[in-house]
Formats: sequence, structure tokens, C-alpha cells
Amino acid sequence: MEQRWPDWIRERDDPRIAHTKPEALDDITVLDLSYKNFAGCYCSSMLSEFGAKVIRIEPPQGDFIRSCTPYGLLYKGEGLNYLSEGRNKHHITLNLEKPEGREILKSLAKQADVLIETFSPSVMDGWGIGYEQLKELNPGLIFASITAHGQFGPLKQNPMPDYDNITQARSAIQSATGEVLPKGKSYDECPWAVPTKAGPWIGWAQPGTFMAVGILAALYWRGISGEGQALDVATTESYARFDDYAALWYQETGIVNERFGNLDTACWLYCFAPTKDGAVFLGGLRLEMWQAFADMVGKWDEWGAASWTTLQTFMREEEQLKWAPLIFAETRKYTSEELVRMSVEYAQKGRLAPITAVVAPVCSPDEPMKDANWLDRGIFTPVKDPVYGEVIVAQAQQKMSETPIRTRWVCQPVGHDNEQIYSEYLKFNPAKLAQLKKTGVI
Amino acid sequence: MAEETWQHYKEKKHSRPAPLKGIRVLEVCTLILGPAGPGFAAEMGAEVIKCEIPPMGDTCRDLTPFGYFFREQGISFVHMNTNKYWLGLDLHKPEAQEVFKELAAAADIIEDNLRPAVMENWNIGYRQIKEINPGIIYISKNGFGQWGQYAEENRPSNDGASQGFSGYSRLSSFPSQPPLKSRLYICDNYGALMGELAILAALHYRQRTGKGQFIELSQTEAIMRAMTWVWPYQQITGKVAMPAGNRDVSVCPADTFRCTDDNFVAIAAPAPEEFRGLCTAMGRPELADDPRFKDHLTRLKEDNAAEILKIIAAWARTKTPEEIEKLAKKHGFAASHIWNTREIVEDKHFRARGFMTEVDDPILGRYFDHEFPVMMSKTPPKIKWGCRAVGFDNEYILKHTLGKSEDDIEKLYDCSALGKWADVPTRRPPSTWDGKAGLREV
Repeated sequence: MEQRWPDWIRERDDPRIAHTKPEALDDITVLDLSYKNFAGCYCSSMLSEFGAKVIRIEPPQGDFIRSCTPYGLLYKGEGLNYLSEGRNKHHITLNLEKPEGREILKSLAKQADVLIETFSPSVMDGWGIGYEQLKELNPGLIFASITAHGQFGPLKQNPMPDYDNITQARSAIQSATGEVLPKGKSYDECPWAVPTKAGPWIGWAQPGTFMAVGILAALYWRGISGEGQALDVATTESYARFDDYAALWYQETGIVNERFGNLDTACWLYCFAPTKDGAVFLGGLRLEMWQAFADMVGKWDEWGAASWTTLQTFMREEEQLKWAPLIFAETRKYTSEELVRMSVEYAQKGRLAPITAVVAPVCSPDEPMKDANWLDRGIFTPVKDPVYGEVIVAQAQQKMSETPIRTRWVCQPVGHDNEQIYSEYLKFNPAKLAQLKKTGVI
Repeated sequence: MAEETWQHYKEKKHSRPAPLKGIRVLEVCTLILGPAGPGFAAEMGAEVIKCEIPPMGDTCRDLTPFGYFFREQGISFVHMNTNKYWLGLDLHKPEAQEVFKELAAAADIIEDNLRPAVMENWNIGYRQIKEINPGIIYISKNGFGQWGQYAEENRPSNDGASQGFSGYSRLSSFPSQPPLKSRLYICDNYGALMGELAILAALHYRQRTGKGQFIELSQTEAIMRAMTWVWPYQQITGKVAMPAGNRDVSVCPADTFRCTDDNFVAIAAPAPEEFRGLCTAMGRPELADDPRFKDHLTRLKEDNAAEILKIIAAWARTKTPEEIEKLAKKHGFAASHIWNTREIVEDKHFRARGFMTEVDDPILGRYFDHEFPVMMSKTPPKIKWGCRAVGFDNEYILKHTLGKSEDDIEKLYDCSALGKWADVPTRRPPSTWDGKAGLREV
């Protein structure tokens, strides 16, 4: 190969040239009816980044989800989560509680490939625009529903609204994450030593992503068979799917996985360790990497690293609890940066080089935005939005040589594209639109 | 309506096709970020051939909670490596590279999670494979992508490093406490899912144009994408996004509360009717009209949010989680106690839907595992079998897929290009194996 691989591939997948290339899904039209549900919005964002034309349908007053913004903060009238997830979508309004609104939806659904909705099960059916009804009009339609409990099963009539923190609680993930309550202490003394959820909306983003994967698989199948179908994601199930070993471990041993602080029940060496100025992640999932770590902190002889023969024994609970304080005593002697550098240098000059332990800084969220590596890779390139100006949202997370993803705009106000979309798809003229607006249909 | 669509879904699952039937994937992956993606594809019906370096194979085979095994296998490994075919191929050897190329010529997708350019050094990089199969969709997943400072430094990564690097952990902790690592391998699993999404988009493009492509996926970039508000918040306010424990700073009220029995309950009630319902349940209906709490944006403001959460916390302290769940159902807000793994495994709803699905594996026996969480009415994804020993399907793949003779195969064994498991637990089949079960007829 004449050209170095990193140079060759960068010439082809650098986000800076994304606009010169085609888009993978630009033949696909998606209707997004998400209501009070970020999983649906995130799902349609995923498709819109690959070039699908997403028509985002909100009630005339706008979707409640726009008001779900940190500390109630608005930017140019917009909530910050929605500012990130309105991306590339054409925003229209439509009142589905009115019969005329539902007729309009049917006309749109006839022309769509995918419909995403998050109403309680049976709401769409009750309106006469459920899957069975719409497939009569459009047999190729992929009808994607995201709810708390799913479309069937004993809880299908339970209308519990779907929120991220509830999904995290119900999936058994929160119960297994968090600091362990120190012996003899109470929650009054240690209110942080409790089951702890993730900060970001992963209980919404992850089910939205799973549904996007399901939609594309259904699209592939439609390409072969010509058939559409209905898809069903229950957010709790989706998030629980990531709980690797817990269900099997319980079945085999009766042990219920519990929180284990910053150590890891199923891995060694694998933990967050305190440093002089913060914390680092330490990883050494092969014996030699764990030995390299011991060597790197000058404990090769004292810890008897040369005599270790397997990692298995270190994974045991009592061994982890014995070794963790010994390790932390060493890492506290250095700054995070010093430890990162020591690991890189060990890979060059250490006894076991090029083997070394993984040492990574545990960053504050402002650090990635200043990190030259991520800036160079185009993750935080500001989007020039016609309404909101230059806005930084995370983007370009998948890099593709032929059909790169892109963010054309970040968001739109409620009903921004009513005129354009209704004229394009239904040939409504301004007089018709004015009348629909007056009667509260759009 | 929805009843019709989903009637007998679980019972009919195994007699219906899966959506990616006919797609062939070659996997050269270890640990979780790599293998989880092809695992998803295999559950959606793709034929996944997992190539491992014999005799030890994937390092993930070692990782298992507190050293416990599941039927003599690493527990995460069983969960992650479903429905795959197992090839023991020492890709350091030219003869093995030739076998890989023959497979690649008739494959649709290749997935690796090695450091940049390793596959190319083995003569099976994207540039080499596209010469023999221009339609190939080739993804490399790792910590930092294929180019940029960290990739050039050849830094290793893994899930914990990515949780640290992205700021995800810092945001998922209590403000006064050190950053907290998630119990999940969230950056591995989520990165794998985002990789599959890009692959399926590329597949759609190939269906239209015949063109393949290369995809690079950095797990840290993938998880940063899911941290929605954090980036515009930091840009717009100039402040650092701060952790908030179990409180959701974008939804109010939404938090985890301690109950009378020292158990915990998660509550969310941000929409007007939900908040009013919660206030009524607390016996404080007047709070819904309190100027500090009158609408969502007002309620989200720091002082108001702190105040309402304090009121709810005091109330929750006098109830059990079950009492609050009942009140939530009655008054139309969302609440859930903190579920554990036992409840997930034994839950009637998850069983009835087939989310906790019973696997009947000819070697591992019967057990329940999490099904692929997108239910598809016409093409249900499903788990059919769990993991296998290193090189378990060698003969089947070489004869059935490549049409090799006994002689050819023997030669490959002789030069150690082809190999099988080491005779140690987690690499070999369980001791109960009869030498036949699970092997495919050629």
C-alpha cells in the first residue's frame, strides 16, 4: 500500500467532505409522531442523519418534550435537548384529536416508508390510524411503536408514561450501579451510596437507537419481500438487554447482581482509581496487562507479579476488595496526567513492552469539547443553523467512506415547515392552510 | 387491532423468517464492543462467522462475575455471542489469511475491533478486501477511530476508558462524590449498536447502488452523541455540565426517593396532568397551582426544582415503593421501585412477550436470556443458541461454505492456520458435551 492507511481513509471519511457525498437513506420518508417521548425523537434523528426525509408531526401547540431542558433553560425559545434532536427534520403541526387531522395523517402515511409513534398502546388504533388500518392504505409501511411496556403482554393496557429515569429504575441497571453503603453507615450519612442512574438520557437514547436498527432491518426485509410490518420496542426491555451477564448469573447461582462501586464484578483489572487531582480508569483484561500495571507503579517484586499465572482468581469478590486499596494507595501518588503518561511510556520501555495497562483520564464534560483530538475528528464542529445560528451538538459519530452522516440543521420552531410540506405532499394552497389553522387542525 | 398484529407472536417466532436472512458477516472481534454488534446481527438472522485465534480465542471468554461460570463458560461471553458459527483461524498465518479472503469474497459485512491497520498488516484490511469484493461493508470499531492524534498514538481503549473520556461517568455521579462507573459496559454495547446502525444504512445504500463502503466507529464518539443537551449547554452558557445524582435536571419532578423501608422509588411527573396527579396523590393538590411550580419550565429552575423535590422526598419517606406505584397508576404519573435482576428474569410480562426468552441450546441446555428488544411482527429476531468452543464449526464452514476437501482441511490444521480450543474451561465445550451435540451436518 503506497499511502498510509490513516491518511487514505481520512481522505475518504473526514466529516469535512461529507457534504460532497451521497446519503444512504435519501430515498426514505419517515413520519415522526413522537409525543412526550425523547426515544422517538432520537430514533428519527438517527435516520435523519443518514439522509432520510423526516417529517416531524407535533400537536399545534408543539410537543411537551421541547420543555424538557436542563434547569428550564431556553436558547432562542428552544429547550436544549430538543435543540440537539430536532436535527434535519421538517417540523409540521397536525391535530390528531380531530377527524380531519387523522385524514391528513392517512394521506401522509400513504406516501411514507416509516412511521414512528409513542402514544399509549391502542391510542392510534382508537383514532383509526393504527398499524392494521394504515397498512390497508400502504402495505409497505414500517410502523414503529416505542412505549414503556410494549404493544402486547399483560401490561399492555397500563398507560404509564415513559420517562428515562423510570426505565433506568425498571431495567435492574440502576440497582446494580452506585457506591456501596459503608459498613455501619446509614443513608442519612451517605445519601450518595444508593442505586444510581446514569446522568444522560440513555434510557431514551438507547431504545431509540435500537428501534432505528430495527427499522433499517425491516427496510432491508421490505427490499426483498415488498412487505412492511409493525415494530414494538418497550424501553425497559431495550435497556435491560445491555445487562450482559446478570440474568444468566442469577439463573445459574441465584446471585442477584448488586452495586460494586467503581470496581467491576466481572472484570479485572478494571476500575476507576483516585489520583492526586481526580480519577483515572485502569484496565488490564489480560494477565500481562495487570502485571504491567504492577510494574509501572514499582510493585513488581513486592506484589509478586512474576508469580501470577491467571486473572481468574483476581476476579473474586474478596480478592478485588483486598487489592483495590493497595492499587489506590499507589495511584493517589500521581496526577491523572502523570499516570496516563506513565502507561504510554511503559508501552515503549517497560519490562513487558509493548504491553501496557490502559490508563485513561476520567474527564469532566467540558474537557472533550476542548480536546484537539475530538475537535479534529469533527464531533463538535458547530452547525450553522438558519434559525438558531452556530450551535454545537455532537455529530459525525459514525464515519463512512461513501455515505457519511451529517447534520444540516439542528432544530426548527413548531410548525416551521407547514407550508412547504403540506404543499409538497398534499398540494394544499395557502388558503387551505389558513383554513386548517383557523379550525385548529394544524 | 394491535391484538391482531401481535397475536401468538412468541409462539410463532421460530416459524417465521428473521429480517437479515441471507446476509453473511465475518467477525474478527474480541471483548464486547466488537462481538456485541455481530451478535445483534445474528439475532436478526444474519449468518455470522466468528473468527478467533486458536486455541485461546476471544479474551472475553475469561470475564465472568466474581469468577463464576455459566455451564463452564464465561457468562458475558454466552450472552454476547449468540447464533454464531465458530472458526478457529490464526490470521497471523498466510494460509489463514487466504481462507479469510475466500470467505470475504462471498461475505456482505466484515467487523473488526482491532487497533488501526492491524487487519491491513494481516492482508485482510478494507483496501485489500474491496479488491476482491467491492460490495463489502467493512466496519472497524475501537476507542479513537482510524485517524487523529489518539489513533496515531495507537492508544488502547475499552468501555471504562470511554466512560471516563467522554464525561459520561462524571455526569452520572453525585456532585460531592468521585465520578461513578456504570455497572453496564455501556460504551461497548452502545458503540456496537451504533455500528450496526451504520452497517444497516450502508446495506440499504448497497441494495440501491451495489456499492460497499468502510465505516469507522469510535465508542467514545458514539456515547458522546447520546449526551444530547450537554454540548449545546456548555457552548451557550459557558458553564460545565454538572452531575446531579439521581435527579433528572431536564425533567421535573424526576428523581429517585428513599421510602419508609429504606427501599427506593423512581418518580417522574413533569407533564401538567401528571404533576397534578402527583400533587393529589401527596394530598397537596394546591401545589399544582403554586406559582413556583405552575408550569414545567418554571418548575425546572434550580430553586423551584430543589423545593418540589424536597417536598416529594419528605412524602416518599412515609410510604413504601409499592404504595407509591399504586398511587401513580391511580393518578396518572410514572413511578417504579428499583428493580433487580431476579425480578427481570421472573417477570410475567417479560416472559409473556418473549423478552425473557427460553433458549434450548443443544450443548448449554435450557436457560432464559434477554431477547433482541425490537419485536418485529413479520420477521421476529430471536436467540437460537449460545456460545461455542474455539473452532467448533471449522469443518462445517470449510466444507459447507467454501467447499474444501478433507485433504485441504488437514493441510490447514497441519500448518496451524486452522485450530481448535485449548483444553481448558471456557475454551473447550462443557464436560457434559457428548462430542456430537450442536455439530452441524456437512
